[in-house]
Amino acid sequence: MSAGLLFLILAFPLLGALGNLLLGELLLRRVRAAVAVAAVAASALTCLLLWPLAAGEGTRATLFTWLESGTFQVSVDILFDPLSASMTLMVTLVSTLIHLYAAGYMEDEVDTTRFFVLLNLFVFAMLCIVLADNLLLLFLGWEGVGFCSYALIGFWYAEEKNAAAGRKAFLVTRVGDVFFGIALLWLFALCGTLSISAINAQASLLGSGTLLALTLLLLGGACGKSAQLPLMTWLPDAMAGPTPVSALIHAATMVTAGVYLLCRLFPLVSLSPTGMMAIAAVGALSALYAASCALAQREIKRVLAFSTMSQVGFMMLAVGAGAVSAAMFHLFTHAFFKALLFMAAGCVIHLTGGENDITRMGGLRKQSPFVFWLFLAGALCLAGAPLTGGFFSKDEILLADFARATLFYRGIWLLGTCTALLTAIYTFRLVYMVFAGEPRSHFHGHALPGPMRWTLPPLALLALGGGLLNLPPLYGGKEHLHQFLGPLAGTRIHASHAVEWALAVLAVALFFLGWALVHWRHRRAAPEPVGALPAFLLSGWRADRLVERGILRPFQVLAGWCWQWGDGRLIDGTLEGAGRLCLSGGERLRRLATGRLSTYLTALAWGLVVMLGYFAWRIL
Amino acid sequence: MASAIFYILGFTALAATALCITRRNPVHAVVYLVNALFALALMFYQLGAPLVAAWEVIIYAGAVMVLFLFIIMMLELAPASAEMQGPGWRRWGPVLLLSLVILGCTLALLGIQADQDGVPAFWVSPRAFGAALFDQYALAVQVVSFQLLYAAVGAFYVGKGSLRRRTQGEETP
Amino acid sequence: MIVPMSHILAFSAALFVMGLACVLAQRNLIMILIGVEIMLNAVGLTLVGASALWQKVDGQIFVIFLMAMTSAEVSISLAMVVYLRRRKGTLEADAFDGMKG
Repeated sequence: MSAGLLFLILAFPLLGALGNLLLGELLLRRVRAAVAVAAVAASALTCLLLWPLAAGEGTRATLFTWLESGTFQVSVDILFDPLSASMTLMVTLVSTLIHLYAAGYMEDEVDTTRFFVLLNLFVFAMLCIVLADNLLLLFLGWEGVGFCSYALIGFWYAEEKNAAAGRKAFLVTRVGDVFFGIALLWLFALCGTLSISAINAQASLLGSGTLLALTLLLLGGACGKSAQLPLMTWLPDAMAGPTPVSALIHAATMVTAGVYLLCRLFPLVSLSPTGMMAIAAVGALSALYAASCALAQREIKRVLAFSTMSQVGFMMLAVGAGAVSAAMFHLFTHAFFKALLFMAAGCVIHLTGGENDITRMGGLRKQSPFVFWLFLAGALCLAGAPLTGGFFSKDEILLADFARATLFYRGIWLLGTCTALLTAIYTFRLVYMVFAGEPRSHFHGHALPGPMRWTLPPLALLALGGGLLNLPPLYGGKEHLHQFLGPLAGTRIHASHAVEWALAVLAVALFFLGWALVHWRHRRAAPEPVGALPAFLLSGWRADRLVERGILRPFQVLAGWCWQWGDGRLIDGTLEGAGRLCLSGGERLRRLATGRLSTYLTALAWGLVVMLGYFAWRIL
Repeated sequence: MASAIFYILGFTALAATALCITRRNPVHAVVYLVNALFALALMFYQLGAPLVAAWEVIIYAGAVMVLFLFIIMMLELAPASAEMQGPGWRRWGPVLLLSLVILGCTLALLGIQADQDGVPAFWVSPRAFGAALFDQYALAVQVVSFQLLYAAVGAFYVGKGSLRRRTQGEETP
Repeated sequence: MIVPMSHILAFSAALFVMGLACVLAQRNLIMILIGVEIMLNAVGLTLVGASALWQKVDGQIFVIFLMAMTSAEVSISLAMVVYLRRRKGTLEADAFDGMKG
């Protein structure tokens, strides 16, 4: 097997995008969708076939030299090691299923060519991030997914709200990208190369202050992309896009890119203990923040968006605790169950005829048991029901935190545990609100198209069985993912069996506590609480207003001042003054040009006199 | 002797020029100028430039000044002013006097030439002049000839334009 | 040299100043052109004198060029004179102020 074949993984989605871009309008709708699905499926298949290349140190392949200038050299090369290979497989598999789902979901939409082109382009860019062995190629993919996300959030751009959401996502993530860009340039200045493996190898030579600064910059980039505090405001609004987009980009893949970046550069990041603590703190706070916000949301997709933010916070937490394998484990299980949840939510929205508000739903269990069971499967994983994928991965993260026996990490652990309880509560609240009881309003639902149904069971299987990927020894597992990642897996967790059991029991207890609380409330059919606290949570802790007051308003004032004083008075005044000066000067000079020959001749004579006078003066 | 003739010619030229520039009647001015040019031509001759002297007479006094006269007469610029009145000798006197002086100088110069005395040390024969002009200054000759061509075209254009305007009756003076 | 160069220069300067005076004082276009001719001839006298002084033919050649340029100038300017006269009916130099700023 040649290493060059690895580029086929990247090439298929790109070809799919190009094919649809150039010929899509000529093709039948079904053929268009088929091209897009086939491109991603081919990519997944290639990844499976080339799987042996990932073993051990992995395989590096270079396509061509991209930029070369003096010592600066960037080539398009990819690294297919256990980390990137497993991520690639996850991305392509989930993407294939979501593309299939999208083929059904978008059946009645116009302009599906643009949709599938962007979706395929997104997969290409995401694979660039995953496979890149140098930071510039990674950055290319990083910006590529940012662009696709922008374009897909605003897919229904005719509505101002959607376009604004796309702009917001683009601009907020751009703030993080600036940090990442600075880190990239700084790394090049320090190491003289942008190759990820070379940077990781040289990282130990850097000073601790530099490492801390670099870690914080990378964290800033990751925060923007992964919607962590304080750059998180875009993700809830990003739900304005079509549901497959939310499932693919804003749940399963793109938002985890920040976590993946930190895992990829873990050898560098792990050298700065303070930086690691910052990462853990950001993750834990984001997780708690988002979980609390999810408690009060009224739109089904916004609940899921906040839960995504919360779960990505868990992943950051794991990276901060040094447990890369736990982070990746949670990343995978989360990708499965969150894609499942979003797709099931898409089905719910479809069944209720475009209704998004959960306070108006209810009783859907009787209407469509199929969707109910699949949604429940995803919800159980999210809530951390025992023996589901989410249970194991979340447990491992909390265990990794607890095992670091410092006060700081204990505090982080406490936050994480609280978040776990909140997660169970908001998840069951969602399930009860949507499926239990009697319908709260009357809907004109649509029937579910075939692809929207078929794609759910495989994901449900993956989500529920996701725990087998990295089953801890405690339950008789062999930690396949941890073994497979080998040296990339991060710090080993040292914890006694007693502690592990205790934490597992606590997690189970929290899960049932959350369930019981919700069940108790909904049994009595209590109305949704209204008041200051729910409103505060609904608005996401008023983060949007805070940003508007703290950043946008001052910026507008500053910009207005620059415009009216700086531009209007200073620059325009200067220019107009200069213009007026020229004008009045010209007005005076104009009188010299009498148009009369005698004037000119006299001037000529005077010129002659001056010249002769000069010569005479020189002689004398 | 030769020097004396030169000074006489010089003052003649100055006098003729002074009379020329004070005339109100352009025809008179041109006639005085022709006198001055003749004197100048003789001065050139004395300075060893016989060819330039010949062209001074032919081109300046002959062609250019005649052109001036043509235009003046065509446009009827010569006024029937007070200068035309008065006794005849006042009108003819200065011109005749200047012409006679120039004629005398010419004859005197011919006499000197015949004596083989006072032949200037520096003397450019037409042959040497032509050799220098077309050898050293060939390019300049080309440029100047183009200049003359442009002038001819320009003069033709300006003249034609006014002709057309007049025939169309757009602007009548 | 039959006369000192300074005397030749004096003659030519006197001619030049007279031409200049004519150009400045006269208001008639024809007279202004005549003044220009006088000034050009004064320059020609200087050139011929210099040619005799340095014993070189170049000065005289430049007089030839001067004459050629004068012919060109005179032909154009007289054509203009005719044109202007037909347009405005006068040759007073100050009557033409179409280029007034």
